Amino acid sequence: MLRVRDGDEDSFRVLLDKHRNPLIHFLYRMVQNQPVSEELAQEVFLRIYRSRTSYEPTARFTTWMFRIATHLALNWLRDEKNERAQERLDEDRGSDLPARELPDRKPSVEQRMVYQARLQEIRDAIAVLPEKQRAAVLMHKYQEMEYAQIAVALECSESAVKSLLFRAYETLRARLAHMAGRRMPA
Amino acid sequence: MTQREMNCPLLAEDTADVLLDYSAGRLDKTRSVRLLRHMETCGACAAFLTEQTALWSALDEWEPEPVSMDFNRRLWQGIDRIAGAPWYRRLADALRVGAWKPAIPLTAAVLIVAAGFIMDHQGTVPFTTSAAGGNGVSVMEVDQVEQTLDDVQLLKQFDSIVTEAGGSTRM
Repeated sequence: MLRVRDGDEDSFRVLLDKHRNPLIHFLYRMVQNQPVSEELAQEVFLRIYRSRTSYEPTARFTTWMFRIATHLALNWLRDEKNERAQERLDEDRGSDLPARELPDRKPSVEQRMVYQARLQEIRDAIAVLPEKQRAAVLMHKYQEMEYAQIAVALECSESAVKSLLFRAYETLRARLAHMAGRRMPA
Repeated sequence: MTQREMNCPLLAEDTADVLLDYSAGRLDKTRSVRLLRHMETCGACAAFLTEQTALWSALDEWEPEPVSMDFNRRLWQGIDRIAGAPWYRRLADALRVGAWKPAIPLTAAVLIVAAGFIMDHQGTVPFTTSAAGGNGVSVMEVDQVEQTLDDVQLLKQFDSIVTEAGGSTRM
């Protein structure tokens, strides 16, 4: 990022290639809408590009990036908390399950239905978490970020992050307990 | 907590990270050994870990969506738009993304110094107001006028008392 700050555009391409997918995946799990997650990711990278000249390496680049992403995702979620948006989200959920996620061996209709039902349960369980808990879980579980990094991204203490995670996982364990021991159909 | 013993991590929310880290495979070997030893006698922790590990595998099943092929192209179009924008637009964008934030402490420092200067010199500079037609009447002058009016009022009262006393003597 320091090279990007100094005007090296190729370094920005490297940053983009390295962080694009993790960022979009995080945003997708936050907002559960692929087109929206890509739009938000575009905005994150544009903000990074616009503020490159004033970048100070006070935290790791990824932490800074996820801080911007979390802000944008939380704002989007707050703006979209109306019934119309929820309906749109539900439609997207239905259409967002591509066949390419399934294993190569052709599953039966029943297996596909079970698979989709399980995924929907996981999505729903994540979606009902309070926004900060959701962000903390996604960064901890899928981005493998450390507590200190999550704390910077969420602008709270490490202790608060641990507390958020404890409560979030507690809720998830309760909601998804019945899935324990059952694997996805292959 | 000694080398051999471990307080139950479930006693507080912010110590349960040991169990979370273990189920995520991120706990170092020393602490893993201590946790395993603790779980031999702590059913609550053992149950927690079983459930958390099951949850961890369930969450693994949620694969992300593939990214659109034209993501980079759209982004570079956006960057080109930024680069081609007029200077006032770029300035507004820079202010929006927080480039002005470093100026906050500097501005605060300037304001504090200015306030201190004003307070320090307030006693030596006579306070004037332009309310009276812009003539600049000082606070001291206002006090003197009030004092004079009080004196005149006092003299009037004294005079009327003396007049009443003189009239009653003549009667």
